[in-house]
Amino acid sequence: MKKKLLSVVLCTAMLVPTLAGCGGGGTDAPAETPAAEEAPATEEAPAATEAETPTAAEEAPAAADGEAVTLTVLAGQSTTDAGIEEMIDEALAKAYPNITLEWECVDWGNDFQPKMQQYMQSGLPDIMIGKAQDVATYAPQGILGEIDAAYLDRGLDAARQNVTIDGKTYGLVYNALYQGVYYNKDMFEENGWSVPKTQDDLQKIIDDCKAKGITPFASHMVDTWSIGNVTMQFAMNDVFNNDPTWGDKFRAGEVSFANDEMMKTAYQYNKLIYDNTYPETFSTEQTDCDAKMVMGEAAMKVSGSWSIQNFLDIDESFNFGIFPFPNQTGDSKLIFEPNITIMTSAESEHQDAINCVLDVLTSDKELAVEIYDYTKTAPMLKDVTPTFANPSQADIDEYASSNMIVDVTLGNNQLVWGGFQEENAKDIAAWLQGDISFEDCLAASDARVDSSSAN
Amino acid sequence: MQKTKKQSMEKKLEKQYFVMVLPGFIIFTIGLIIPLLLAVRYSVTSWDGMSKIKEFVGLQNYINLWKDADFRSAWWFTIKFTIGNTIIQNVLALLFALALDSGIKAQKLYRTAFFVPCLISSIIVGFVWLKMFSNVLPEFNELLGTNINFLLFGSGETVLSGLLIANNWQWIGYWMLIYLAGLQSVPADLYEAAKVDGAGPISRFFNITIPMLAPAITICVVGITTGSLKVYDLLVASTKGGPGRASTSVIYQTYTTAINGRQYGYGSAMSVTLVLALLLVAVIQVKGLKSKEVQA
Repeated sequence: MKKKLLSVVLCTAMLVPTLAGCGGGGTDAPAETPAAEEAPATEEAPAATEAETPTAAEEAPAAADGEAVTLTVLAGQSTTDAGIEEMIDEALAKAYPNITLEWECVDWGNDFQPKMQQYMQSGLPDIMIGKAQDVATYAPQGILGEIDAAYLDRGLDAARQNVTIDGKTYGLVYNALYQGVYYNKDMFEENGWSVPKTQDDLQKIIDDCKAKGITPFASHMVDTWSIGNVTMQFAMNDVFNNDPTWGDKFRAGEVSFANDEMMKTAYQYNKLIYDNTYPETFSTEQTDCDAKMVMGEAAMKVSGSWSIQNFLDIDESFNFGIFPFPNQTGDSKLIFEPNITIMTSAESEHQDAINCVLDVLTSDKELAVEIYDYTKTAPMLKDVTPTFANPSQADIDEYASSNMIVDVTLGNNQLVWGGFQEENAKDIAAWLQGDISFEDCLAASDARVDSSSAN
Repeated sequence: MQKTKKQSMEKKLEKQYFVMVLPGFIIFTIGLIIPLLLAVRYSVTSWDGMSKIKEFVGLQNYINLWKDADFRSAWWFTIKFTIGNTIIQNVLALLFALALDSGIKAQKLYRTAFFVPCLISSIIVGFVWLKMFSNVLPEFNELLGTNINFLLFGSGETVLSGLLIANNWQWIGYWMLIYLAGLQSVPADLYEAAKVDGAGPISRFFNITIPMLAPAITICVVGITTGSLKVYDLLVASTKGGPGRASTSVIYQTYTTAINGRQYGYGSAMSVTLVLALLLVAVIQVKGLKSKEVQA
């Protein structure tokens, strides 16, 4: 009898917390946390932030108070960014010794979104570093603080465009990457190839490469993200440059991957790369791929500024340039991607300290140059010029001067990366490997329509 | 008087049991039962993992699972990976254990060498084998002038073989030790009696060794099966579920759907089906294998 009683007690002990845990019926997890509960509605968030956020001029005395503050930072980093946290710490220690940053650095592609989801339940870090496209994902949730104009004004105007929602800017874009086809300038000169503007021009170079035993393209398709990245590059010039609202139309059922010739063409370019790269591309990682490019084993590589670090680390005299992947109409634009984007928590108790960090990041030109030189990226701050020798800079300047540059955030906001582009890239890989048909690949993208938008 | 003392002792023991069991219950409940029940609850919603709205969708997520080609493909890969692992690891672990139990020289050295890989994180194992297949082994082709395809992670047709090699390399030593312990606990007089009765080595193996090892076989089969059904970290570090979706396991698909794809409700439905499958497989295996166990 007593044993039975004990069993009942133990079962009750187990069930009570269990039922308590799943109780509350309609109580949603985010609402269970104070941060989420108190998060204002989308429209209200900036107003609340405005009230709490002092201007740059006002916050200086707060920093001078010397009260020790530790700010938490979630940094979603690209491969080029790892290491900049130490530079920022050092500069911050000089300007505001009372402020310490507690960094959590993760890979942006794989881990930033999961971490953000986790922190949206438990309370956001004070500062989040991601990419410009993250603003469109998280600002509508009412969790991001508006960035003070005092700091934004120190950046280029182009930096604000895609991080501003309803007139309020939630991200401070710090640097930018360029994406396109990196090419071996010396090899191009030796073989008499000029920068291709049309698909026919490109095909001639590919044919000549093959005739001379040169691999036309270096690629590393083992990294599915690289397939997703180049596909968006193709789509920018063949789809979004013609129709900037293609994603909206896709969600409205007006266009589809299976029926849109422009999008089909963008997907087909992957086959062009696959057919003209080395056979071990699905076993080759980025570093090995970049090394092959530098060693002259391949003539071109569809990539972005993240490859420059590798190129110059392997051979600092490597002479390379960049051009946009030619589209069907011969008017491709070089792709520009706002990269390091600093976002702040609307609910942080340390807004003044956050502003001190923003102050250091935007006013310390020495730090900025150090970061740009290290990451080999382009500045998004006014009056800051990196000192590293970028052989592709002349090409970038030329495209910039002729207004042939386009911000990829447009495409990334129309068709989001997480859950859509990266999933489509897996299907493209399966199609290239012959596991599924091209039609199935397109149909899979169409079936994913509900995941194509951040909100 | 005697009866009262006994009752008092029983009461004390019960209290002790209760106190000793309680921490385990609390940890188990908080760490496993509550998340599991929450997953069941989320699985009937269309929650994206971020917003406050968790719209109830009934069994729609489960219905959608049946139509989801990616989910079916993930299950197919997981099943092949599990079957391959269960067979290869059990057979090789048992063979190695028999070899080590036969009294060969440097037994401790072999045992250590086989066991060391399982001390390494699966993430490291994934990286190691990615480099092995991509960089190290292809060098042998150049050295030897051969043309062996070592790029096993580079094709959907060979990626399963590559992952089985990596996974078996890591875990065979672990299961081998369990078999070895089982072998060493088989009474020697059983073998001697069988020898006297004229039983040969093969007959002794199938009529004494295997039946006596049945408890160890149960542990190994269930452990390998459930472990393989849950494979994730090895894939993250080596193939990232590719090429394409060729090595996407159920857990990998669940994670990318729920977290990267912002379909937390749908991902929860995937995880619930996996838990049910794991329970079913474990119950069937334990029931089936327990009935074969014998006592010396």
